[in-house]
Amino acid sequence: MPLIINRQIQNEDAWQFIDAEDFQPEQVTAANNQALVLPAEKLAEVAPKTLLQLSEAKKLGASLTTEQDHELLLPYLDKLALIAIEFLVFRDGRGFSQARLLRRAGFKGELRAVGEVARDRLAHLESCGFDAFVIPEERFKAEDLAAFSEVGVSYQQPSLQQQKEKLEAEDGIA
Amino acid sequence: MYSYNQVDQQLVDERVEQFRDQTRRYLAGELPEEEFLALRLMNGLYIQRQAPMLRVAIPYGTFSAPQLRALAYIARTWDKGYGHFTTRTNIQFNWPKLEDVPDILAELAKVQMHAIQTSGNCIRNTTTDPLAGVTDDEVADPRPWCELIRQWSTLHPEFAYLPRKFKIAVSGGPNDRAASRVHDIGLELVKNAAGEVGFKVLVGGGLGRTPIIGKVVRDYLEADELFSYLEAILRIYNLKGRRDNKYKARIKILVAALGIDEFRNLVEEEWQHLKGGELRLTPEKISQVETHFKPFTYVEQNPAQAKQTAADLAAAFAEHPDFKVWYERNTQAHKVVGYRIVHISLKPLLGAPGDITDQQMEAVADLAEAYSFNEIRATQDQNLVLTDVQEKDLLAVWQGLVAANLARANINTLTDSIVCPGWDFCALANAKTLNINEQINQAFDDLDYLYDLGDIQLNISGCINACAHHHIGHIGILGVDKKGEDWYQITLGGSATEQARLGKVLGRAVPADAVADTLKTILATYLDLRQADESFIQAVDRLGIQPFKEAVYH
Repeated sequence: MPLIINRQIQNEDAWQFIDAEDFQPEQVTAANNQALVLPAEKLAEVAPKTLLQLSEAKKLGASLTTEQDHELLLPYLDKLALIAIEFLVFRDGRGFSQARLLRRAGFKGELRAVGEVARDRLAHLESCGFDAFVIPEERFKAEDLAAFSEVGVSYQQPSLQQQKEKLEAEDGIA
Repeated sequence: MYSYNQVDQQLVDERVEQFRDQTRRYLAGELPEEEFLALRLMNGLYIQRQAPMLRVAIPYGTFSAPQLRALAYIARTWDKGYGHFTTRTNIQFNWPKLEDVPDILAELAKVQMHAIQTSGNCIRNTTTDPLAGVTDDEVADPRPWCELIRQWSTLHPEFAYLPRKFKIAVSGGPNDRAASRVHDIGLELVKNAAGEVGFKVLVGGGLGRTPIIGKVVRDYLEADELFSYLEAILRIYNLKGRRDNKYKARIKILVAALGIDEFRNLVEEEWQHLKGGELRLTPEKISQVETHFKPFTYVEQNPAQAKQTAADLAAAFAEHPDFKVWYERNTQAHKVVGYRIVHISLKPLLGAPGDITDQQMEAVADLAEAYSFNEIRATQDQNLVLTDVQEKDLLAVWQGLVAANLARANINTLTDSIVCPGWDFCALANAKTLNINEQINQAFDDLDYLYDLGDIQLNISGCINACAHHHIGHIGILGVDKKGEDWYQITLGGSATEQARLGKVLGRAVPADAVADTLKTILATYLDLRQADESFIQAVDRLGIQPFKEAVYH
């Protein structure tokens, strides 16, 4: 499925997503040098040492559905390089607020929208803090990238770029 | 009134092209039906019983003569020569073709209009007092705040896919003419002990299937924190509002489920992160918007001119008794001496309430241009207002309205009813409404009797979605379907004012042909029992519904 990061189509995806059904804590390891996205509610079951190893290699990610509370991830934010939010139905607007809140909490890694994601929501998703998008193959065309700039002005601030700059600036102060 | 800057214009222009592309992709089969539905609704386009229906936004009900002429042009070019004003002070076109809609939107954009967020599960057009700025009982003019809310809510990326639609109303003061207590959020401009202007914030009001009066969530909100507080409420609602059942998805259900205290705690906790931050309004931004709503330059009359005007009016009353009747019923005092507020009734004897033809639109535009600073207001009662007419021009305005068949002197009377389009046009309706309204108009054709009955708000909805707000009518009528026949349930005692309350059901529903007769019985009972100058609603408040019930179901 096409993956877009920072408005660019990617040829490869470094991340392996582990479903909740397939998740077995003892099989999670940093030894394979594989970047892993684990279900948010399962992070607590992984050995802290493994989490730390994955995190230090920038190979730890977590996935959250729009049904779940974003607060599940707050204890892990500084360890995560990627958070995926899965839209279960396209009309479910909770993911937009979840993204805003995760960014506000200081998450600077890749925030990826997955599930029912398509062209006509890309610009709003990006404004709320997503910088990566997985779109089902049959719903994607290369010209869909134009969707990000269809409406070039906005009453709402700040933009994703401004949010990121602000986080960087705060890091500088700290 | 507000006029667009470059950013406003660019946004609307690009939104038109965005929708044009969405429509093209849908017609080419590239966009699934379900997704296009959400996208077209967010741009005001419904598919109705007969044809698509396009709802055009009139932000807080204020528009200009050139804008009204553009609406007339659209009605003539792409519709059947008329439009329909709604209770959200928008205008609907009932007959456009789907493939023409992008061109209609482009025409609207030329006059700084659009159909953005007039439908769909997003923040809708903000409504306010149609008399904002021209009465002396308001704390502050609500229109600049409405415009600020318009900007904040337009294409807000976080709140485009809410659990359900979301409506905000702003009242300029304690006399609530904006029905703010039956809105998802009601804002009332108030002053604190230091004399600073801020907002009382109500939340969780609404009509529909579960009518509820809004509750106070914050007694005083600093005006410059308006956006941060709205954003906190919307974020809590977006995250916690129910999405499993569309009939339980409005914020009123969430507030009722949590209780107002718990809801308030959640909002306040979220607000702590937002207040004092980027969403805080700067004094420059506020005054930049306020500049657009400065009072007009009114003409002051010297005593001799005032005397002459009074004499001319008296002479005109003697010559045209209908003018006098219209003056008394359809105009009211203005805060500036020498001016009157003129109400234009869109409730003709035969015709759908709120409907207006292209020629009538042009006539009103001409009158606004000549006599009322080029501005028109739309009301939640589906009428229009020229807010700033000099007394010396009233005769000319009346004559212009008579010529356009817009001078029916029935403002605030029984026949000034709010009526949804009902089964004839709406796919949701259970029962017809327009025939019932016609029946009532014919039964109450005696003007002296109508005036004797005084102020009465009659609201007729064709289904429990309550688009005509039957719960808050002094008399409410709700159409219900019983085994394929239309029946009508009557409520008494509702009100949308600062003392908002829901009407009480009178008893079992009556058949379609008995509605007007039932109203006659109710109103005869009122005339029998009323004291001195007691209005209908005051009498119902004092007496309760029992005497009316006994009279109808004896």
